[in-house]
Amino acid sequence: MGNFKLTTVEEFEAATERLLETGKKVGADGWQYRVANQTPHCKFGEQGVCCRICSMGPCRITPKAPRGICGCDVHGIVARNYLKFTAGGSATHSDHGREICHTLYNAKPEGPYKVKDPEKLIRIAKEWGVETEGKDIYDLAHEMAVRGLEEYGKVFGHQNFLKRAPQHTQEIWEREEIAPRAIDREVSCSLHMTHMGCSSKPEALIRQSLRSGLSDGWGGSMAGTEFSDVLFGTPKPIETEANLGVMEKENVNIVVHGHDPSLSEMICEYADDPEMIAYAKSKGAKGITVSGVCCTSNEVAMRRGIPMAGNFLQQENVVLTGACEAIVVDVQCIFPALGPLSKCFHTKFITTSPIAQMPDSEFIRFNAKTADENAKAIVKMAIDNFENRNPDLVYIPDLKQKATVGYSVEAIVKTLDGVTNSQVDETGTTKPLIECITSGVIRGAVAMVGCNNPKIRPDHAHIELMKKLIANDIIIVASGCSAQAAAKAGLMDKAAKDLCGAGLKRVCELADIPPVLHMGSCVDISRMMVLVAELAKDSGLNISQLPVVGCAPEWMSEKAVSIGNYVVATGLDTFLGVDPYVSGSTEVAELLTGGIREWVEAAYTVEKDIDKLGDAMIARIEEKREAIGI
Amino acid sequence: MTLFDVVFSGNDTVYGLTEGAINGAIEKHGADKAIAFPNTAYSLPCYYGVTGTKVATLGELKDALGVVKSLMTREKRLNDAFMSGVATALCAEFIEVLKYMDGAVPYEEPCYGHLADAVIRELGVPLVTGDIPGVAVILGSAPTAQEGVELVKSYQAQGILVTLVGGIIDQCEEMGYKTGANVRVIPLGKDVTSVIHVVSVAVRAALIFGNIQPGDAAGLMKYTFERVPAFVNAFAPLDPVIVACGAGAIALGFPVITNEETFRVPKSLIVQKDVSKFNATSLEARDIKIKITNIDIPVAFASAFEGEIIRRGDMQVEFDGSRVDCCELVHAKEASEIEDHKIEVIGPDIDEMEVGSKNSIAYVVEVAGKNMQADFEPVFERKFHSYLNCIEGVMHTGQRDMIRIRISKDAFAAGFRAKHIGEVLYAKVKSEFAAVVDKCQVKIYTDPAECTKIRHEVATPMFDKRDERLMTLTDEGVEVYYSCIMCQAFSPSHVCVVTPERLGLCGAVSWLDAKATHQLDPEGPCQVITKERIIDERIGEYEDVNEAVRKFSQGALEDVSLYSIIEKPMTSCGCFECICGIEPLSNGVCIANREYAGMTPIGMTFPELASMTGGGVQTPGFMGHGKHFIASKKFMKAEGGVARIVWMPKDLKDQVAERLNETAKEMYGIENFVDMIGDETVAEDPETLLAFLEEKGHPALSMEPMM
Repeated sequence: MGNFKLTTVEEFEAATERLLETGKKVGADGWQYRVANQTPHCKFGEQGVCCRICSMGPCRITPKAPRGICGCDVHGIVARNYLKFTAGGSATHSDHGREICHTLYNAKPEGPYKVKDPEKLIRIAKEWGVETEGKDIYDLAHEMAVRGLEEYGKVFGHQNFLKRAPQHTQEIWEREEIAPRAIDREVSCSLHMTHMGCSSKPEALIRQSLRSGLSDGWGGSMAGTEFSDVLFGTPKPIETEANLGVMEKENVNIVVHGHDPSLSEMICEYADDPEMIAYAKSKGAKGITVSGVCCTSNEVAMRRGIPMAGNFLQQENVVLTGACEAIVVDVQCIFPALGPLSKCFHTKFITTSPIAQMPDSEFIRFNAKTADENAKAIVKMAIDNFENRNPDLVYIPDLKQKATVGYSVEAIVKTLDGVTNSQVDETGTTKPLIECITSGVIRGAVAMVGCNNPKIRPDHAHIELMKKLIANDIIIVASGCSAQAAAKAGLMDKAAKDLCGAGLKRVCELADIPPVLHMGSCVDISRMMVLVAELAKDSGLNISQLPVVGCAPEWMSEKAVSIGNYVVATGLDTFLGVDPYVSGSTEVAELLTGGIREWVEAAYTVEKDIDKLGDAMIARIEEKREAIGI
Repeated sequence: MTLFDVVFSGNDTVYGLTEGAINGAIEKHGADKAIAFPNTAYSLPCYYGVTGTKVATLGELKDALGVVKSLMTREKRLNDAFMSGVATALCAEFIEVLKYMDGAVPYEEPCYGHLADAVIRELGVPLVTGDIPGVAVILGSAPTAQEGVELVKSYQAQGILVTLVGGIIDQCEEMGYKTGANVRVIPLGKDVTSVIHVVSVAVRAALIFGNIQPGDAAGLMKYTFERVPAFVNAFAPLDPVIVACGAGAIALGFPVITNEETFRVPKSLIVQKDVSKFNATSLEARDIKIKITNIDIPVAFASAFEGEIIRRGDMQVEFDGSRVDCCELVHAKEASEIEDHKIEVIGPDIDEMEVGSKNSIAYVVEVAGKNMQADFEPVFERKFHSYLNCIEGVMHTGQRDMIRIRISKDAFAAGFRAKHIGEVLYAKVKSEFAAVVDKCQVKIYTDPAECTKIRHEVATPMFDKRDERLMTLTDEGVEVYYSCIMCQAFSPSHVCVVTPERLGLCGAVSWLDAKATHQLDPEGPCQVITKERIIDERIGEYEDVNEAVRKFSQGALEDVSLYSIIEKPMTSCGCFECICGIEPLSNGVCIANREYAGMTPIGMTFPELASMTGGGVQTPGFMGHGKHFIASKKFMKAEGGVARIVWMPKDLKDQVAERLNETAKEMYGIENFVDMIGDETVAEDPETLLAFLEEKGHPALSMEPMM
């Protein structure tokens, strides 16, 4: 077993405690204190029964006041809120995808943005019926960027990527009228439906929630993932490290945070520049360390091996180390708290996107055309800030774990090729994985995704569930902050095979993989959709028949609800550890946990007891196995 | 039934039989009756290995069965199936030991049954050191006796230890096939339970050689998984008992290959319907690589022949890339596209060629491997020179599409033909690059039209692509350079210093090639040279480089510059693609390439120039180099760069024109520089050349004097 040992959540918490002490010295705030201030939360809000879509209200539903002023009942209000929540998430992911399309449009052979995976570009072009023969790769890139952007406003028809799904799934989407049309249209349509005096029928609102979710997962997010691969390279297994200990005391520390890799890729590029490194040395540092938080971190970790400083609820911790010269953010999941917090230290809080502008930040507007200059200016600013560090405040917790990351679908297939036998097997398929599943060596797979949420002990649910699942021979694919929780704990170290049941352990040994596979950021859940689609096609089963489920035990954002909707609508049962503000309506809750199964062959399970949540997933996987006789 | 259910039911069956047998024996002989296998210090070796407990009486055996029962859990997890497999194996051992009661001799010729410790010690050493590359366990009856024997024979030929259980033993007897420990084919017994006697070998090997403590079941299984290269070939039909035994084998890390349609588990339970492919499938499943020690050719193969020269008069035929289309190529492919050891000759063989004739040849070595990278292709290619030269009566020079091979009359008379080139390349690539090559096949084209096609449509684009990759790298942009001494067999004091912008003078070892060579073989011909201590930037001289050159030339060379032809120029071995030499009248240099047969304005032909430039000696004013170097910004950088080039053969000009023009434009702002350079159609003497250069306004004329 060597010296391998998981890092425990208790150790995470002790490190955080120590950092909060530093915070106290400088009068810093922290989410831990704000949670206390906000507790108890508004019950009407929690149950989803408060309506403020017109100025006659706000109305809130109670047994004494069962209808709003317009006469809408609790089910309509809860469902409407749910759809609005979904539309917010769908818009966010999809707009990220749109930005990537724009970056692709600006790609040039001389940079700063180049086409790093031309083969993938050609593959997608062929999929979309775009002529590739004899075309310059950059001409093709620009044409595909425009075609990608057209997906957002296409006048007729459905999303191009839907054709990647198995026939059966496509038929369900057609039949249930949830095949997404233009991406923007689904968001607009959702907001239209939830306007005062439009839909109040839960079935209609939930159906649109699924469609809006699908426009994200099989539309905007998929574009974000696929074209990011074209631009920055399709991830393949690479070694990295995770947790705060990746920050280096002697170095200039730049932390990238957010979701869009366009900025962080450039920062990494310039932080590696000998000129910049020399400059850092001239300022008394030993070098430059770039590390990441949230999904931007996932993006650069899986393409460049850039270490991961932490996930969502650890974003304030990186500043609290006192060793962070700059925290550079793009979009999504960025605490406005970073502004005031950075003022307690020497840290520069640099916002870069017009989408995410915050008080107490330095705004350096990032632009695809001037990306190199912008990135260089940011790196330089961080280096210049090194001398302002207060050594008395510096404390970097000595916690980090090794991780192998970068399991794109392409990389997974390539890994599976490694266990084929060329005398009998074909390569380039998911069949070896299917064989492991049908023989029972692996019982199934769980897609672990989602955020952190103070309502759940941070990272605890992710890590405990993963430990339980792998001990039961269930392989995990993870993304987003869930993936980072796994990496911080050590579950993405190949040595974690020893925590698995005999079946998964043997698979890890033969395929040389960790038991928890890092598939990327939250937009990369689209990769998981492609993976299950391939599994279904290669096995001849429907997606809903595969012993595979999704799980977001600590989710918190609108994006997560949008994701949940497309995962369920793709046919995968999804297990949540936090209620999506629907407990106020029995009808909506029933629909989401049962009724929609009639439509899409899958539904949600909400279970706040994490242990029970794990048991429920294992039981569902075994049920699915039984149903197909394996 | 699921796979696990089959295992469980097989396990239950065997357990029932074992329980009955033990109870029956106790009833008959009493619980104190002694039981033991002969000639072992390890009691019931499998049970002892797994539990650490020795069993000496029937009563103890009954207790042991209770322990076995505790392994037979029934959760739907692989661990339960594995443990039930182990339990099945232990039951088999119990049944087998009962056969030996009272000193009985239960097995007779040809079967061996239990194997003595002495046999393990004898077999175990080569097994653990890898001299026996694997252990095959063949179980059941092959579809025909013929196929069964063929399979046994195929393993035997590879040095693999073969053990037989069940019908295959009869099939060998039927065919009169000789078996026995001395020929490494050991029939164990005809009952399926006799398979335990080979498991017992693996377990005792772990205890004897692996220092595994009895009772450390996990350590034991890790040892067998990682170190005992055994595998099972189980012929259809498979009953649940065999499947349960198979689970035990897989638990120990031994894959099972069967021709029965059943569940499949990658690298563990493999369905191969074609029994003739059992061998290849099994070896791949267990990652067993067979070392090739004998190359099947009619002449000798040894490094003693590497420097052998074949004169025109002694030559049967010649393949000459400077006159007709030839090339040598390594091509990485998917494993499924390659049939290992397939050697094809496409076109006429040597006996159909006229004595003394010049012919085309193109040999393509196609390889596949899980760790193979395209970057390794040129590295293998560069070794062909040495491989082919080691053949008695064969001489090889050059590389890529500029190769020349001569085959002697003696070699031809001894039976040497085109396919033997394939045999040599196959054997050497497979054995020297075993780390990355799993499968290899060779295509030898001698049909001139095919050769033309391969050279221009396959090889050239691949060479260009490799060169293009290199173009993006600069000397300044990399941390280290590499030495290359691949041709020290010919030129013992020559050392090439390979940088991104200056490839080896043979034109075949680029910086990337050198890097890959170093990765594949860290002790090999390409070593890292750091570039931290610069002496003179203008001529490209580094202390680190000089130290390396001194070391690798065994002191023959003191110091070299990377970018000058006058001051401390790099040496040449004799393999160079081109030579450039000073032409004093025009204040520039002429370049001649190996294919050019005519006169140069320097007054010397290529061979004449070569004779004064080679041999690892510094000759200021003359330098061997690769074609690709001509358009490099580092070409004669110290003397002012490519603007010094005043003359090149027309063919060479055409080859480098595009890139050279680009470089000249970038460095001096000169458009169409190549048009200012003379060639044999303009002049073969210095005076006519000078007039031409003056007319064109060649920049060299107004540069600083070179000497």
